Amino acid sequence: MSLAVRGLTKQFGGVVALDDATVDFVPGAINGLIGPNGSGKTTLFNIVTGLIPTDAGEVTFAGRPITGMAPYRIARAGIGRTFQVVRAFDRMTVLENVLVAERRSGLRELIRSAIRGSEVDRAMDWLRQVGLDHLADADAADISYGQKKLLELAAILMTDPSLVMLDEPAGGVNPVMIERISDLIRVANANGRTIVIVEHNMEMVMSLCDHVVVFDRGRPIASGAPDTIQSDERVLEAYLGV
Amino acid sequence: MPSAIDASPRSQTGQSGVVAQRRRQAWNYVAVLALVAVLAAGPVVVTNSYYRYAGVLMVMYMVMATSWNLVGGFTGYVSLGHAAFFGFGAYCTGIIANESRTSVILALLATVGICAVVGAVIGIVALRVRGSSFVIVTIALVYMGSLLAQGLRSLTGGSGGLDVAGLYSFSGRAARHAAYIVTFAVLLGVVMWLWNFIDGTKFGMGLKAVREDEDRAQSLGVNTTAFKVVAFALSATFVGSAGGIYATWTGFIDPIFVFSVQISAQLVLMSLLGGTRSLWGPVLGAAIIVPSSEFFLVNLPEYHLVTMGVMLGAVVLLMPNGIIATLRRLWVRRRAPAASIREVAGAVGA
Repeated sequence: MSLAVRGLTKQFGGVVALDDATVDFVPGAINGLIGPNGSGKTTLFNIVTGLIPTDAGEVTFAGRPITGMAPYRIARAGIGRTFQVVRAFDRMTVLENVLVAERRSGLRELIRSAIRGSEVDRAMDWLRQVGLDHLADADAADISYGQKKLLELAAILMTDPSLVMLDEPAGGVNPVMIERISDLIRVANANGRTIVIVEHNMEMVMSLCDHVVVFDRGRPIASGAPDTIQSDERVLEAYLGV
Repeated sequence: MPSAIDASPRSQTGQSGVVAQRRRQAWNYVAVLALVAVLAAGPVVVTNSYYRYAGVLMVMYMVMATSWNLVGGFTGYVSLGHAAFFGFGAYCTGIIANESRTSVILALLATVGICAVVGAVIGIVALRVRGSSFVIVTIALVYMGSLLAQGLRSLTGGSGGLDVAGLYSFSGRAARHAAYIVTFAVLLGVVMWLWNFIDGTKFGMGLKAVREDEDRAQSLGVNTTAFKVVAFALSATFVGSAGGIYATWTGFIDPIFVFSVQISAQLVLMSLLGGTRSLWGPVLGAAIIVPSSEFFLVNLPEYHLVTMGVMLGAVVLLMPNGIIATLRRLWVRRRAPAASIREVAGAVGA
């Protein structure tokens, strides 16, 4: 589904994180969001998902403005996200980590058992997809860093999002795991989910993405197919300072 | 999603964990009933009036610590303000009973409802901040309560305190204490039932997600604010009810005593000592601290508070997860020394 931001601006103290940024992400595609550290990529994620308020500008999702909505409402509208530094509910089991993400609505839903058959089956299915089903009963604190990345992915897929935003999915994991995560992203995309990834691993971005947006100093400086982006002079300048 | 990516065989681990959890929860209900029965039958064996008095205190603190744990254990929000609800509940019952001349039991029922509403309203305000800011806000609640109780002289009797009618008409002290042990034991059964129930619901799972990572819980669609406020209101309701019953038990409310941060700190200490992630943690903590506190109060009165401080320090340093979690870990280590989860995970190579 379509995500667009218009004129997003955000300052932290004197630092301008986003400077009148306007981006249209391509619906149904795997969108890459790249740029040097501090160019505003994660801030954009945090504003889109409602974790921090924007100073100015607007976010629209599927044609509806979602600026300033509570994060849980944005999540229920169909946006799932992962975090730059991997985050799991450490003192809950791997299975519970996924079950938390089950859509919940109404008092009746909330006060019945959290571990009912059909949900457990669905959660186990997602764990199987990412290859963590054998660890379902382990505490999330006890699994590895890479496994936590997969767990995060399973949890947001449990919410059945139409837009998946991944903040550095390949950060700090080994090449085999990067391949695996790339495959999972492709499959999620093939299932009709729009993907936006922030990533520094250029190899992954170039092989995975259909459309790439380049950020520098809080605003997009280029966008297009991976091939054209790679040869764009502004991009080379931003990255290499040439 | 096609499942071509992962070829690992269908595992039953998740299912067996679920079954084990269900079984543990069901046994907890049985054990709670047994505990209530044992506590309520206590006065049959314990006839000494002073011991019965200490017993009332112990069961009352079991109720309050378990209530505290509805917020502290599930959401990880450490409240030092629960004495405010204890005092509020006490005054609520006392004032309603005195001013309206209705029966004490009606005053108590009204207290339950009022505490739920007040708890929700205060929760909405206080739960806007996290971590140490939340602790400070809740401490402020206790001082506000104390000042209000001493200031609103016409209602509360000011710093001179307030006399409250009793709930029961037993003439003897020992008989009265016995009745209150039973009363608090029944309330304990209710609040433990509630804790155990929430533990297995989606509501409870959402609360635990708040404890682990509130932002991430929100980004997965959990309405964390509503969850926290409901938990806080429930917690306040039970502590307030305990305060109301306490007022009818002692027949007198001292504003300095009921609105003291020390009562709040006791609840935190009990819960931490036993373990906040277990139904039995706060109860065990109260069962250790109230009797030992009474012992030191009688035998070493000048060191009474020091011993509390030493205990709190020892718990935080030596058993940060509480007695129950520590024992459970030792038990698991003894039973299954073969391989840790990390090693298994490494071998699978996921």
